[in-house]
Amino acid sequence: MSFRPVFIAVVIAFALILAAFLLNRARPKVETEQPTADLVRATGKCAECHTRTQYSVVHEFEMSMHARKGVNCLECHQPAQGQEKKDHHGFVISAQLTPGNCRGCHENIYQQFLRSRHSAPAWAAVYGEKGLTPEQVSFSETYQPGGTRRPPNPLAELEGTSAKTSGCDQCHSVGKPNTDGTVGNCTVCHTRHTSSVRIARLPTTCAQCHMGPDHSQIEIYEESRHGILFQAQEKLLNLDAPPQTLTTRDMFVPTCATCHMSGINGIGVTHDPSERLSFYLANMITDRRPNYAAAQARMKQVCSQCHTPGLVERVYAQAEQVVQTTNQRVQKAQDIVNGLRKGGVLTGPPFSYPIDFVFFNLWHYDGRTSKHGAFMGGADFVQWHGNYPMLEKTVQLKSMAEELRRQHGRVK
Amino acid sequence: MAGSNERWWNQPELWVEVFAILNIAFLTFDIYLAHSVNQFRNPAEYIPLLFSATSPVALIVALTQRVRRRIWWKILGHLVGWSAILVGLTGVSLHLESSFFYERTIQSLTYSAPFAAPLAYAGLGFVLVMNRMVDPGSVEWARWILLFTMGGFIGNFIFSLADHAANGFFLAVEWVPVAASAVAIGFLCITLLTEVPRWFIDVSAAVLILEAGVGLWGFVLHTMGNLRGPSVHAFDNFIFGAPPMAPLLFPNLAVLGLIGLWQLRNKEYAEPLVTVTQGT
Repeated sequence: MSFRPVFIAVVIAFALILAAFLLNRARPKVETEQPTADLVRATGKCAECHTRTQYSVVHEFEMSMHARKGVNCLECHQPAQGQEKKDHHGFVISAQLTPGNCRGCHENIYQQFLRSRHSAPAWAAVYGEKGLTPEQVSFSETYQPGGTRRPPNPLAELEGTSAKTSGCDQCHSVGKPNTDGTVGNCTVCHTRHTSSVRIARLPTTCAQCHMGPDHSQIEIYEESRHGILFQAQEKLLNLDAPPQTLTTRDMFVPTCATCHMSGINGIGVTHDPSERLSFYLANMITDRRPNYAAAQARMKQVCSQCHTPGLVERVYAQAEQVVQTTNQRVQKAQDIVNGLRKGGVLTGPPFSYPIDFVFFNLWHYDGRTSKHGAFMGGADFVQWHGNYPMLEKTVQLKSMAEELRRQHGRVK
Repeated sequence: MAGSNERWWNQPELWVEVFAILNIAFLTFDIYLAHSVNQFRNPAEYIPLLFSATSPVALIVALTQRVRRRIWWKILGHLVGWSAILVGLTGVSLHLESSFFYERTIQSLTYSAPFAAPLAYAGLGFVLVMNRMVDPGSVEWARWILLFTMGGFIGNFIFSLADHAANGFFLAVEWVPVAASAVAIGFLCITLLTEVPRWFIDVSAAVLILEAGVGLWGFVLHTMGNLRGPSVHAFDNFIFGAPPMAPLLFPNLAVLGLIGLWQLRNKEYAEPLVTVTQGT
């Protein structure tokens, strides 16, 4: 009985088994060490089909930090609590993703976002409380008083559903209530499959919504020194720097996110821009926010990463002066319109008369622009898109009011 | 020719022929499941389905003519055999669009489409052609059968490794078919590379019987897993879940291997090797 054939057979078998172990060991641990078999399977199974059907989605994901960290498709797409389940080629996925899927790893960020005006107040600015639960309204009112418990926007109601859906919703749905009980939509700023910090830091991302006559932030930024420097030096900046370790060496020119949200040079990151805002600049008559002093101190701390205290204080002093004068001008205009309503000259719902629109434009466009321009270094917007049109419209208001009183007197 | 004067149950070539017919027929169902994953998106995916459904008919007809009109047995066998080889090799070419050949990474290999699966057709085609071109009473015939068996176990090794790696070897038991097919390859390799004594053939046969057990156990595990699958429809679980037929390749190949070993054992060269030490 010869031992040789058995020996060789066992050696061949063992060599094959060893090769299998070594091959498997070469696979990344982030792929193989998953809590469920389905999660392991999803790592490439999804891409196998979707590379052919929606290549850009797979490609965007491959470029993302999520992919680099070994997050796979199913980890985001598996149904979170309260979400509708969908049978999909051997997997059970969520039909619609919401912050309910993101919060599994990003709970802190979601909680910060919930406290901000990007959350329920953004939705309520169009729809009022519609769609929000009483608990969501109550929670939001705690942090943003008056932002959520309010009626629907009268202008939006007048313009109708298609204008709201294709117009207002596209921005204000950043705070939409979802069927799973969450609020908001993280992908508005972070995009879906790229989930990019770089994209979130770009001014153009904020400019999707923060633009136009009613909140001209991107136009003001582009006029400002910050905007000019960013345009010239964008390629020199490290926009991919991790949020926790971002410094002025990475971003020595600020974008929107730098001042309003980023944790630069060790300052804490926040997804609640309200933490650094001391005024309700968007309001008709601007008030200080409840956290005025602390918020202003936080924002000045960010400014101080690049600017001297003297400059920071000067900018704030001048801007607050603009706020005061704008308030006075808007108040005067409001007094004119209120006087007409009190005297029975103006009747009926809002936006029934041309003078309603003149007054609305005065505070909603020109007043806001003047205030935003003052805080963000947009001189032209303070003057020619702010104070000058306010002056012009005030004269128009007075003239229209006189004419309306004359007509009302004749009719009476 | 060995077997022609033997009783039918003692004719290895007949058993191999039946083996090939049953396998091609069974592939109908297997291909239907496999290409349902892709929902038969490419019309070419119907070709192996139609081939598997019709070829056994031709082979059965051929089998009925094997004794009286052997020429028809040969002609039909060659026709089906070479067609099977063509279907198999074409299938491999079409499966080569797999991302592995673009990315060439271990991840993409693990998750690529089973590019070598169509070789099952090629293997069966070669079996049919060989069965008509080589004397079934010869050692060469037995060794060809064992070579095809070993090829099948190499496929088992590669696919149990790749498919279970796609699952991250989530359960330790998923290493069993990898190790089992490696052992089968080892033993079958020796029967091909060298003259082996009868006891080694018996040991190899025992290994193959164990392989059959591994496969049946795997079939039970795959089925149980699919019955608990996430999809609402049981059929979807079987399409997109663990391939139910894959473990059955082990007993399937074990049968083929046992036929080859049986034939090898019956031949002169398999007598125990004797070293002459005295007298001459």
